Amino acid sequence: MALRIEKLPVKGMGLPHPLPKREIEKGFEALIGENRLFGAELNPDIIKKEGSKRKFLVSSLPSRKKLLSRWERLFRDLVSPARFFERVSEKIQEFEHRENMLLVGKDRIIYDTQIALGSDVVGEMTLFFLAERDHNLGLLAYLRGRRNRIVYIDHIRLSQQSSGYASALFRHYETLFHDLGFHQFRLSASLSVGKYYWAKEGFDCLDREEFRRMKEGVRDLVEKRGFPVEEIEINRLTHVYDIALFRRDLKIPVYANAEGYYSFDKDEEYREERTFPLGKAYLLCANPWDGYKIIYTNTPRRTGLLYSPGYLNHRPRTGHPESHKRLGKLVEAIRKDDLQGSLVLFEPFLPDRRSLEMVHPAGYLNEFRNSVRTGKKTFATVDCSISEGSFDVALLAAGGVMAGVDAVMNGRVDNIFCAVRPPGHHAGRASAMGFCFLNNVALGACYARAVYGVKKIFILDWDVHHGNGTQEIFEEDPLTYFCSIHEHPTFCFPGTGRRMEKGKGEGYGFTLNLPVRPHTSDREFLDLFEKEVIPEIERFRPDLIMVSAGFDAHNDDPIADLALTERSFVHMTQRICEMADTYCQGRIVSVLEGGYNGSSLTSSAIAHIKTLQGRS
Amino acid sequence: MYVGRRMTAKPITVSPEDTVMRAGHLLKENRFHHLPVVAGEELAGIVTDTDIRNTTLEEPSVNGEGEVLVREWKVGEIMTRDVITVSPWDTIEDALVILHRKRFGALPVVEGRKLVGIITKTDILAAFIDTLRIEGAGGVRIEVILPRDVSFLLRLIRKLEEMKIEIRSLVLSPFRGEFVAFLRIGTIDVANVKSVLRESGFTVPALEDFFG
Repeated sequence: MALRIEKLPVKGMGLPHPLPKREIEKGFEALIGENRLFGAELNPDIIKKEGSKRKFLVSSLPSRKKLLSRWERLFRDLVSPARFFERVSEKIQEFEHRENMLLVGKDRIIYDTQIALGSDVVGEMTLFFLAERDHNLGLLAYLRGRRNRIVYIDHIRLSQQSSGYASALFRHYETLFHDLGFHQFRLSASLSVGKYYWAKEGFDCLDREEFRRMKEGVRDLVEKRGFPVEEIEINRLTHVYDIALFRRDLKIPVYANAEGYYSFDKDEEYREERTFPLGKAYLLCANPWDGYKIIYTNTPRRTGLLYSPGYLNHRPRTGHPESHKRLGKLVEAIRKDDLQGSLVLFEPFLPDRRSLEMVHPAGYLNEFRNSVRTGKKTFATVDCSISEGSFDVALLAAGGVMAGVDAVMNGRVDNIFCAVRPPGHHAGRASAMGFCFLNNVALGACYARAVYGVKKIFILDWDVHHGNGTQEIFEEDPLTYFCSIHEHPTFCFPGTGRRMEKGKGEGYGFTLNLPVRPHTSDREFLDLFEKEVIPEIERFRPDLIMVSAGFDAHNDDPIADLALTERSFVHMTQRICEMADTYCQGRIVSVLEGGYNGSSLTSSAIAHIKTLQGRS
Repeated sequence: MYVGRRMTAKPITVSPEDTVMRAGHLLKENRFHHLPVVAGEELAGIVTDTDIRNTTLEEPSVNGEGEVLVREWKVGEIMTRDVITVSPWDTIEDALVILHRKRFGALPVVEGRKLVGIITKTDILAAFIDTLRIEGAGGVRIEVILPRDVSFLLRLIRKLEEMKIEIRSLVLSPFRGEFVAFLRIGTIDVANVKSVLRESGFTVPALEDFFG
């Protein structure tokens, strides 16, 4: 029964093929011969105190048959046990593993070692290798052998001076375990420095609730001490990493006791005062937390996905094309496609008035808010159907792009796809139309400029409709290039975007409109893209590329008349990735706009995301 | 729509005594093609870039010693004296018909004999663009073919009203014994409007059969 079908490895990553069983067996024999392989059970009475008792009891080795089946389940026979042992205990920076062994437990394989530098033992480490059911995937996938493979860092203790080693070891493990098909690192950040260190390594809270509590903790601390921190700065925190780097300019005192635990309160003896940046100090003094980190190097580029279930709360009237279901379906499909495991997930924050007013005047924002609060059915035009949550959701969409900009600009990911709604590219400074209320992309671009000082931004809009709002906002700005490729305005909403519209004043020549005729197919469309868009990006040399990625130019989309397939989106994505690699360290923030046919939106967006990741 | 609302009031003018050179420079600097010629406040004629071009094509005259005589033309010598004019209270349609029939580019606007403005083809095109609302974001054009009976037009408008679709402009023109209605509607979801209209029995031509 051929149940064990794994997804094929990513092109170019050169994953090894499964080894024959006798190779595996030989590996086991070698380890047994060296006295490195044992059976194990979890110790029911763990005593946490250091060094006294281990978390597991060494027992007799399970049968050969069991050994083989457990090995296959976890390591898919991609590596022989002896070779694995060698790789996992590789000598790095003069640090060696000693007294190390591999233990085979019922549901896990355990690696346990002492870490030595020269003749001194400087630390110890225990890793668990486990596989668990991925609840994002169905039962069938589970039966076919698809599992979340996890490296659990159960215990690591290193003397102070070896932190450089820890980081190098971690890099080594990331590649090693990635190649072996592991999906996640997990750990419990409980030791003093670890609580900060793991956050900085990119570990996030396993439980979102825990993160929320953490964020509230920061807020309380700031309020209690009256630190000069603005509300929005705390709202923007979406990842423990953000907390670790929070307000590095603001140094605050904490107290360390003799064992190296930190606290804000100075109440006992042996408390030495030290100062740390706000975020670091908070984590050092915080409660232990459970962390996880996706082993996401399994794609050539690191790609983020920004989404919040909050986006589903904008509910236009029944029968409206921009329904919450389109995004729901897309996210569901991403979950099922096993993409989620390779994407770094982000959540939006609520932006403050000041960042919104970089684009939209206060009067317009108030008018929009009041229309929603007073229970109006539409705002400005019939197309812009609103519901109770519309104002907040529109804000969250804008904040989503801002969080996306954060993620890309501070280097957590190379590029990101922001799955937001309502869309934004028709919204001008003070006008809503075509399902759009706030111009998400424009707000993101202004945010990137205000917060990160990004100079030149290239906005590519391949939604089937002309991005008239974005054009209006940037037509006089020579540092923001707006390029829209869309169905011709005579045939298609909003009736603007002719070739002759090339920008105004200083911005003349920094707007490019490329209308195409109805029924344009992939070939003509991509021809135009290659001939006109690419040379413009090369000429402009952007510092950041943003995409208004609508997928309604697809042949199956009901709203307009172009005849593109996924191929166009893949090709364009590939090319802008190349451009971004050349000019701006790969930085792309892609923002969902239109796309109204569930299945063509889903397949196009997934193809787009996979191409962003560098696979295709 | 009256000419007075669409014309350029107080246009740049020349006098019959000005040199053609000066007229030529005025046309070049201001990037237009027609200069009314006034004597005092009264319209005396009109000079166009065509007139000026024609003077440069004149065979130069040569005197007895074989020297080329450069003659300095005056505007009065080359202008068109018998000018067709309109008044500010003529309509855009009047001006349009004249411009089209006579193949002119511009008409001086006079009250009595006094020049008050000039109206050009460009002004008329602008009037059309405004009337049809071709420019400006938020509208999209659809076409519906209707039998030559106003009740069908009424039904069409009712249907759109029912769907709460904003009509931004509507032109009805004869087409092969029927009417074709050109509408600009203010919605992004045109596909839906078209399919609802088709379901209600209207003929909405496909984009391949686009008329305009």
